[in-house]
Amino acid sequence: MSVIGVQMPERRVVVRWARENLFDGPWNTLLTIGMVSLLGFMGYSVFNFVVITADWGVVDANRQLFFVGSYPRDDFWRVWSVLYLVAGLAGFSWALWSRITFRLMFVTSLGMIPIFVLMAHEEAALLTLGALVTFAAAYTSGRTPVLQSRHRGTARNAAMLFWVMSLPVSWALLDGVPTRLWGGLLLTMVLTVFGIGIAFPFGVLLALGRASTLPVIRSFCVGFIELIRGVPLITILFMAFLLLPLAIGPERTILFGIPVTGFELDTVLRALVGIIIFSAAYLAEIVRGGLQAVPRGQTEAAKALGLGTPHILTFIVLPQALRAVIPALVGQFISLFKDTSLVLVLGLTDLLGAAQQAYTQPDFIGDQSEALFFVALLYWVVAFNMSRASQQLEKTLGVGER
Amino acid sequence: MSVLGKQFRPASVLTLWRNVRVQRFVGQAAFLLLVFTVVYLLIDNMSNELDRIGVRLFPFVNGSDRFPFFSLTWDFLEQRAGFDIAESSFGRDYSANDSYRDAYITGVLNTINVSALGIVLATIIGLFVGIGRLSKNWLVSHVALAYVETFRNVPLLVQLIIWYVVVYLKLPRISDPLDLDFAVITNRGVAVPFFNTESGFGVWVIVLAAGAVVSYAVYRLRLRREESTGDPRYPGWWAIGTFLGIGAIGFLVTGLPLSGETPSIADRQVVGGFKMSPEYGALLTGLTLYTAAFIAENVRGSIQAIPKGQAEASAALGLNAFQRMRYVILPQTLRILIPPTTNQYLNLTKNSSLAFAVAFKDVFDVGRVITNQSGNAVPIVALLMVTYLSFSLLISLVMNTINSRLKWGENRR
Repeated sequence: MSVIGVQMPERRVVVRWARENLFDGPWNTLLTIGMVSLLGFMGYSVFNFVVITADWGVVDANRQLFFVGSYPRDDFWRVWSVLYLVAGLAGFSWALWSRITFRLMFVTSLGMIPIFVLMAHEEAALLTLGALVTFAAAYTSGRTPVLQSRHRGTARNAAMLFWVMSLPVSWALLDGVPTRLWGGLLLTMVLTVFGIGIAFPFGVLLALGRASTLPVIRSFCVGFIELIRGVPLITILFMAFLLLPLAIGPERTILFGIPVTGFELDTVLRALVGIIIFSAAYLAEIVRGGLQAVPRGQTEAAKALGLGTPHILTFIVLPQALRAVIPALVGQFISLFKDTSLVLVLGLTDLLGAAQQAYTQPDFIGDQSEALFFVALLYWVVAFNMSRASQQLEKTLGVGER
Repeated sequence: MSVLGKQFRPASVLTLWRNVRVQRFVGQAAFLLLVFTVVYLLIDNMSNELDRIGVRLFPFVNGSDRFPFFSLTWDFLEQRAGFDIAESSFGRDYSANDSYRDAYITGVLNTINVSALGIVLATIIGLFVGIGRLSKNWLVSHVALAYVETFRNVPLLVQLIIWYVVVYLKLPRISDPLDLDFAVITNRGVAVPFFNTESGFGVWVIVLAAGAVVSYAVYRLRLRREESTGDPRYPGWWAIGTFLGIGAIGFLVTGLPLSGETPSIADRQVVGGFKMSPEYGALLTGLTLYTAAFIAENVRGSIQAIPKGQAEASAALGLNAFQRMRYVILPQTLRILIPPTTNQYLNLTKNSSLAFAVAFKDVFDVGRVITNQSGNAVPIVALLMVTYLSFSLLISLVMNTINSRLKWGENRR
């Protein structure tokens, strides 16, 4: 049909593909037509909303609220330092554990671009660029031949140590500002990362306790895990919010009749404690899966070699078990990332709270859709990218293929 | 072991200390002591603190509210609630003059209502989307994929608020409703036609039950014929036909026990039909679509887990597409599908506690209001936990029963 010979087969391929995949048989044709009209309608609605009816002023005016809440402008350097720290560590570890696959890089940057564009005003553009450069530099340093060959193991251990150390360091950096001012995406990320990070050791202990042969310890762990997993996160948050300040509040905490100074717990910390309790129970179940995946022969062989229980756990069982559950851990991270939105019930200004705060401002009454869809997009970008990354990780680790 | 134990009796404290059994006992006792101490200290602190501000921590304890409490009373639950609950389920009648207990039960019923309907709808949608994910039609499979990835990766709470604020509350006002003749759509509620029961409904239900028994007998009979002769006897179609026939005749004989009722608007209220308030609608839609995305992935995963050879072998045996699905793939899929789907049902039930975001009075929200009004935080939190735990246990029990039935059926063959 076409005059140019080269195009003909291509067109034929398209037609054939369409015939085989979209129009084979009346039923499929009907489905295709239905889907096309559905997609057309949805595409039109989305276009109409995004380009024509929506007024994105509410998002534009509240960028700061969405990203850091009421974190004071003079202390932004704290957030940036944490971002640089994480970017450097991420680049370094990526270099050590696997090559950057082009696809993952592409998907991630595609997800990051909206955030970048949104942040990109005044000095933020430069600083974001700086973070990317830090990432690249750390990646390059991690790819140096020395670290890739002889000292790879050492470098990996160091990287892991740095990651663990980065938790208290970041907290100390951010803590220069009272926690009640934290908000937006920053608060969401803090609750997620520290929720998982602090809960992890407890989760491992609970999982080990559940696998223990000591009946008292086992039943305590089983009871705790099942109780927490059986109730909604929101009741745990509610409980932490109401009862925690009473139990360890600063007013009159008494240990064996001796008054001691308790902790000042504001809402963010109470929420964090609730989240830690919640995710410890879920992490315990994940780790238990990993423990069960370690063949019994491993423990038996270690026993035969004369190792004691602590040594068997730290050197034989746990390294294998934890490696097997890395993808599940990422999954838990994603679901906690989404679940932190529940702190809204405690009146915190996390990402979702920021949206509510934005659309109740007098200037933007009635702009709920814009604020909510923007926040939904942010959540989606982060969660989707992480889930894609975890699929990649699963392939790299070859979990379940051995 | 026991022989050894008799031979080498612990002679001194040192050997006693090295005895594994002693070690285990002492270790566990120490652990127990630690747990009790911590719990005691926490609760003691709480009581002290509340004493100071003049609230009793455990109002359900007779006499002292200090740590060793024994008898429980729930006096405050009998007090007048004093708040309204906009909608109640299963025909429950609640007013602000009723007690906290009545309010709580109304909340429980509302939770059951939305969770049960949500589970049914999410299963249906999840099944369709999950099968759609495996469709040969490129467009269908990718639309299903887009659905799953969109709804899975946005927090449920965000979705619920979007459904409520952006969709249901933006519907036409009650003064200017969208009246579709058969349905009414307003921002005070969406109503669709529903049935009204007339006299004779009870008799008709009995007739229907009898019809079910008869059609099952017909099914067995036709199936046995089919199996013995090898001729197609269409037992399923025959059974359905028998059931519908008996139902229709019974319907006429008992004097039309059901009548359709289309909703309408009277006095600025939506009346008649099956009415969904915006709160209920938003919660149900959000929960259903969110959970359906996860169920769809379970469905896809468990269909893909069946080796391809199964379908190929049954095709080679001459089974048609329906028979392949019904007799070969589906029974195997269900066994893989049920455990993860049970988890999703549990999640849906627990997630229904997010109703507070859309102002629907579920059990959690009612509990929250009671706590705010009466200050009885501890018993209410405990009651909420017990309530949700019983929901979880009930669902697990039902699903485990179904699961073991399936396994049993498999072993029997």
